[in-house]
Amino acid sequence: MLDALKDIVRKSSIHVCLINTGGCNGCDIEVVALLSPRYDLEQYGIYVHNNPREADVLLITGAVTEQWKEKLRRIYTKAPEPKVVVAIGNCPLSGDVFNQEGGSVYAPVSDFIPVDAEISGCPPRPSEILEAILAVAPGAIAAKGRQKE
Amino acid sequence: MSSVIWYLYEFARKSWAEKFAAAKSGHDIVEKPARFRDFPQVFKERCIGCGACTAACPAPGAIKLVRDGDNSQEEGLTYPVIGVGACIRCGFCAEVCPTDPKALECGENHLIREEFTILPVDKMFVIDDYLCIRCRKCMKACQVDGAIYEEDNKIAIDQSKCIACGDCLKNCPVKGALKGIYIANVEEQKQIINMVVQTLEKTIEDRQDEIKNLQANEVFKMELNASDLMERSLQILPKEEMVIDLIEKVTDRLKLRVITWDEEKCTQCRLCVEECPSGAISYDEEYGVKRDPDKCLRCSTCYQTCPFGVAGYYVAKFLFKGSSDDSEESVILITLKPSNLPII
Amino acid sequence: MILPLGPIHPAFKEPLRLKLKTQGEKVLSAEIDYGYVHRGIERVMKGKTWQKSIYLSERVCGICSYIHTQTFAETFELISGETAPLRAQYLRVLTNELDRIQSHLLANSTYFKALEHETLFMYMLYLREPIMDAIELLTGNRVNMGWNVVGGVRMDAHESHLQQIKEIILKLESEYPKYVEMFEQGPLVGLRSHDVGKMTKEEAIKGRAVGPIGRGSGIKHDLREDHPTYRDYLDFKVIWRKEGDNFARTMNRFDEIPESINLIKQVIDNIPQGEVRKKVNIGAGYGEWRNEAPRGEVTYMIETNGNLINNISIRTPSIMNIDSCAKYMLKDAATVADAVATYASVDPCVACAERVVILDENEGKKEFQGIFNIK
Repeated sequence: MLDALKDIVRKSSIHVCLINTGGCNGCDIEVVALLSPRYDLEQYGIYVHNNPREADVLLITGAVTEQWKEKLRRIYTKAPEPKVVVAIGNCPLSGDVFNQEGGSVYAPVSDFIPVDAEISGCPPRPSEILEAILAVAPGAIAAKGRQKE
Repeated sequence: MSSVIWYLYEFARKSWAEKFAAAKSGHDIVEKPARFRDFPQVFKERCIGCGACTAACPAPGAIKLVRDGDNSQEEGLTYPVIGVGACIRCGFCAEVCPTDPKALECGENHLIREEFTILPVDKMFVIDDYLCIRCRKCMKACQVDGAIYEEDNKIAIDQSKCIACGDCLKNCPVKGALKGIYIANVEEQKQIINMVVQTLEKTIEDRQDEIKNLQANEVFKMELNASDLMERSLQILPKEEMVIDLIEKVTDRLKLRVITWDEEKCTQCRLCVEECPSGAISYDEEYGVKRDPDKCLRCSTCYQTCPFGVAGYYVAKFLFKGSSDDSEESVILITLKPSNLPII
Repeated sequence: MILPLGPIHPAFKEPLRLKLKTQGEKVLSAEIDYGYVHRGIERVMKGKTWQKSIYLSERVCGICSYIHTQTFAETFELISGETAPLRAQYLRVLTNELDRIQSHLLANSTYFKALEHETLFMYMLYLREPIMDAIELLTGNRVNMGWNVVGGVRMDAHESHLQQIKEIILKLESEYPKYVEMFEQGPLVGLRSHDVGKMTKEEAIKGRAVGPIGRGSGIKHDLREDHPTYRDYLDFKVIWRKEGDNFARTMNRFDEIPESINLIKQVIDNIPQGEVRKKVNIGAGYGEWRNEAPRGEVTYMIETNGNLINNISIRTPSIMNIDSCAKYMLKDAATVADAVATYASVDPCVACAERVVILDENEGKKEFQGIFNIK
């Protein structure tokens, strides 16, 4: 009974923090576009506010650069349990076009923190991001919450 | 207070309540226009396995050519596979694909006319008209229509259509008639060529004493271990395949002219000092006649002038023998023979 | 006390560290730490052909990605001594102006978000979505368009595309004044924008502020006036203001959108028929080209050997704007909340700015710095 209640609460109130670990910023503005009245992310109970301390979902949108190597792990530990990490775009998955000779990126992100869901595309359309977050986040948060207890 | 009444009034309207109950996302959030470039679609059976898409792709690791295993009836298909985590959806692979109809389709990019599909490759293929025997084997081997054409009884390659697959080079029966030239790292290539030629020259000059005694029709043979040369080249340009190719090309058609200088025979007649066009030979009361190898042009004028045979003139040719497996070391074979130029 | 903001902060779209020196609630001065999104783009471009590099230049910045490819292509055209066909030039103007509209709307929406004015934030994004549709319709992607090539644009626009874009633009034009009035007359936003984050003309020149930020402080300078296509075939007027506060900068961006709408209408009405792309034999040499991006002036300096890029240097507007923001605008902000709003009003694009690394060869230590620190 309590578990079911907790699941419902967790599924319907998801706080999201957006972390750009060194990308071109295209995925970030697609996430901002998700807030627009057309996509209206908040109708699904998802609230983007960029504060890792109260985030349930961390959206990573960049190949990891020199400065982020240690800081990413620190931000990850600051987010409270249960938490889900979603990698948006190609940068966190493979380093995109920057991951060539001469580029100073340390992709993929999964080397540094565990990643629960991946959305590929450069950048993915807002509808694709929305689809992926809705498919993964609520269930994963509820499941992770139960694991902890 | 008035605003509260207004809100209550707004919410109590029937149309609002109906809309609220039947709220759903608009159709436009998932609608994609015709031009939208999704991940490229692969049509396996159309692919000729040329690798143009992999060479063109700007994202590392986004596209890979794979080959199915053969079965009893037919050969396995070769086709590209798109790595979804790395593909940036630019549609450039669909643009450069040379087949008709295209093996890759992406948005409307595959409709772009082929005259613009200049492939960003690091190798350029050219035909040496002097050596070409016009057998047209390259034309038959070429997979792209019109990439190798014949004009005025000359075979040439259209650079804008060439996909640099190298099939023509494999089928060319004449060594050196068709060349694949690396267009990247031009400065490093120059450095390597200079280094190789200078090393070869120095090796020959170190063995001057043996060369001097050569008879007119004799041939002098020697070997140079190329592993040291390779190592030094790799320090300049760390790409092994390119370095081997380069050394092979340099030694293949290289002809070095070697001048030897036998000071014991010299009678200080100073005939050569006047004749030397570059001023490499000088006369000094104290040291006598001296030749400066750094200034020398190897023009053989001194050899033709000297009545006492002080200057010797030889021609050297080279052959690079690459290591077929790891146990053998690659060597450069050097062949030296005296010139048969008449002495005036 | 020193109040650090960021790198992850509710008001910032992108990571950046802002150190505010405060006395109570009053901000005395500010300092900026860069380097969170340095990816080494210019180094990756070296030794690559233009066909591959143009996709890299697009990814310098996601918001103004279009203008980077246009400048890149025009630099190569300059080196080769050729120009794109006229229809392609018109199409470039069309895409550039669409990109400018969406960028300005996004910049203003971020400013309103920093002011916690959710209504206008939502309205701006509501206006922006149809423009994104127009861009996607024409080029095939919403953000990284892959639309420019050296010698023109990749694909022709159909007549139906142009008509659909015109419909979208006309709809925007009819709705638009209502939202501008909301900001201009609204007491809440107005109060928090007037006389906040002031930068005088002299300071703007000293801080090398460009684009709407410089124009908001009274520098009447728009590079589009010098661009051949705009100069010869199209009419527009340069928008500028004298106040130099948050209100002026936001209003400047608002006022530029009708000009862009006007330009798009001119393009769609007068676009000539013909080729959109021609074959360019890339020459060897050095070229430099400047263009007006939504945020100011973008410069590309390219040295090529005809096939490959030997050297490339990109100068983007954001680094000047962010630095002049830290140095002059945040000097005497009344409250910390104002400081955040002022920072948002500059329309910072950190992804653009970060391509400078200063390497200490002896110690092998890397430092990321703004232009004021580079001697």
